[in-house]
Amino acid sequence: MRDDNKAVNDEHDEMSADHLDKQGDGKEGEMLHRIGQMTRGLHESLRELGIDKMVERAAQGIPDARDRLNYVATMTEQAADRVLNATDIANPLQDNITSQAAELEARWKDVMKTPALKSEYNEAAEATLVFLKQTTENSNATKAQLMEIMMAQDFQDLTGQVIKKITELAHMIEQELVRTLVDFAPNKPVAAPDNNSLLNGPQIAPEKTENVVSNQAQVDDLLDSLGF
Amino acid sequence: MADPNTKFLVVDDFSTMRRIVRNLLKELGYSNVEEAEDGVDGLNKLKAGGFDFVVSDWNMPNMDGLTMLQNIRKDSALASLPVLMVTAEAKKENIIAAAQAGANGYVVKPFTAATLDEKLSKIFEKIG
Repeated sequence: MRDDNKAVNDEHDEMSADHLDKQGDGKEGEMLHRIGQMTRGLHESLRELGIDKMVERAAQGIPDARDRLNYVATMTEQAADRVLNATDIANPLQDNITSQAAELEARWKDVMKTPALKSEYNEAAEATLVFLKQTTENSNATKAQLMEIMMAQDFQDLTGQVIKKITELAHMIEQELVRTLVDFAPNKPVAAPDNNSLLNGPQIAPEKTENVVSNQAQVDDLLDSLGF
Repeated sequence: MADPNTKFLVVDDFSTMRRIVRNLLKELGYSNVEEAEDGVDGLNKLKAGGFDFVVSDWNMPNMDGLTMLQNIRKDSALASLPVLMVTAEAKKENIIAAAQAGANGYVVKPFTAATLDEKLSKIFEKIG
């Protein structure tokens, strides 16, 4: 098998040498000729090895990956919505308890200013005041946690953007693969990706990327340095 | 804090982020908030009038936030409207481009309630 290949290669070399001698068009002609041979060789090997089938399978696999990413995006959005709905409901409830406790506290304080009431009554009132104060404090603390839960949902916007970008990339690769399958011309030039776009979405590893800020302080510093 | 009736337009293609910004504004005392889902929608709502402040994302379909900002600055009726960019775009070129287009502030996502509060206060202070 190896000998056969060697024979074929030798033959090719001889052919190209002959060809060059006849044409006499120098290195460029030789290069083009070799690329032509390599392309034909690649084309044949691909078919022999069944790689065209693999490419086909990859092209079929990408829509599935895309659907899965869409599913992740949908599910995270639903989860974020549920939490936001819950905080929307709980927030006013807490506000209500806070304001009612404050109102009651003021009323009791008023009542206690009046003299000649039983000491037991005063004690009960004192205990209620302590409870009301605790209610206000706890409500405020709960509300801070509700805010925290709300802010924690910002991941949905960021992961959503990243997933969308990957989905678009997968779509592009899929189309490219399909087109490759259709015309089977592996030496066609592929357009270089545009790296200067202003639409890059969230930076996944800002420390590892040039010309990118990694926090708000760096945004502020940059704007300050520019005089804005 | 500025006038609590200050009318905000929150422009973002992700409804989660629109709700978060709306809730944060409410916590800061501003409950007069409307939403738009992209630059085209935003610009239409702004042209209909009545808005005092714009909080906008950058990367959106149909029309991105930078293009919307440029259109706002070109429109004599809207040109002086304060615009705060709240975006995940974190390249230095982005920040410079936004500043040059006339953004009044730039907040990079993910952000905190305190950052939004600080940037809003700073803008209100400047436009007085």
